[in-house]
Amino acid sequence: SSLSSQTLSSTTLKCTTDLDTLLGKDRGALRDIVINANPAQPPLTLLVLHSLLCQRYRVLSTVHVHSSVASVLPQLLSCLGPRHVDSYARHLFQLGFTLIWKDVPKLQMKFSIRDMCPIEGEANVARFLFKLLAPHPSDPALATLVDSWVDTAFFQLAEGSAKEHTAVLRALNSALGRNPWVAGPEFSLADIACYCCILRSGLASSAPANVQRWLKSCENLGHFSPAKVVVQ
Amino acid sequence: MALNLIINTSNPPLGALLAAEHVKSSVPVSVEEGKDNRLHVSDAIEFNDANSISRYLARVAPALGLYGANMMEQTEVDHWLEFSARHLCGQPGLTEALGNLDKVLSLRTFLVGHAVTLADLSVWAALKGHEEWSSQGKSFSHINRWFSFLSSQVAFSAVSNKYTAKKPSANKSSSSEK
Repeated sequence: SSLSSQTLSSTTLKCTTDLDTLLGKDRGALRDIVINANPAQPPLTLLVLHSLLCQRYRVLSTVHVHSSVASVLPQLLSCLGPRHVDSYARHLFQLGFTLIWKDVPKLQMKFSIRDMCPIEGEANVARFLFKLLAPHPSDPALATLVDSWVDTAFFQLAEGSAKEHTAVLRALNSALGRNPWVAGPEFSLADIACYCCILRSGLASSAPANVQRWLKSCENLGHFSPAKVVVQ
Repeated sequence: MALNLIINTSNPPLGALLAAEHVKSSVPVSVEEGKDNRLHVSDAIEFNDANSISRYLARVAPALGLYGANMMEQTEVDHWLEFSARHLCGQPGLTEALGNLDKVLSLRTFLVGHAVTLADLSVWAALKGHEEWSSQGKSFSHINRWFSFLSSQVAFSAVSNKYTAKKPSANKSSSSEK
């Protein structure tokens, strides 16, 4: 029966892709990630993560504009790169990434999985996408430190008052005096979130010395151009 | 390794205390009163907000599955942690948030998956600590069912007896409070 052959293949085949392990065995033709985002607040971290996903997986990327939005800037229409020539052949791709510019109060990610509620908030979608690229640190303290910086970036750097910005930049400066990256010796989602939220709030020029140095290290990685294009 | 959780009893982080109560058989957590809520982890690392404290405790006791059983559930747990912090805790006008929550709970026993997770802990804690909940709660039958089901569980009733019964009230003498 189909059930036993599925069980057999998942236990004996060593060559199952990472996505199978991460997302559970694929039952459909394509794993589809659908994101509704407001063009007034382009999700910079997700654009960065999308380009990293494209280096790792064969991603079928699509941008749509919902009727609740009158018009979008050209750089938002092309933010996931050029249209695939062979996009008709969905089976050639491992992951579908659909971005819909829509008048939503909060960014949402939806899956065609029954029983799963839509995931709200750019931070949470970023956490999900980053796990497709690298496992969370196995050390509980490090993993939680990353999560804590991600929250700080989104709630205090991206949205907070000038006073909060100053306090976070100071904390960031001291963290970056101890370590090359925000949450320790390794580049993590904390760096992506902090970089993008600093970029969004235009805080780069007023940042203290260690933060300035770290911003340069981030730029040297070359991961952030999709975010910079959208902010310009 | 015993962990030390400092709590401000006038504004106790109920979600973090619930997480501590759940993990206590595998990871002992001592609770002390202090000025600010914080969990001391090492010389370099301490966590101050309820969500980070809960996340850390869930991760040091992975066998309990408080962070969900797989990656999709982890993502849902993250969603509810943010929901409780941003839409419930200290927010005036809960009606819209409660409406959404009620819909989600209509066919579910737990918020995520088939067992208790940080999602249940943080949302339960946010409602328990919210002054509007006791007056508004009655109109949301699914939330009510879920809320009373959790309240009857040992860990939830322990935390609620220890940390929420202490509301400043006139019929308690001030000497017994101190």
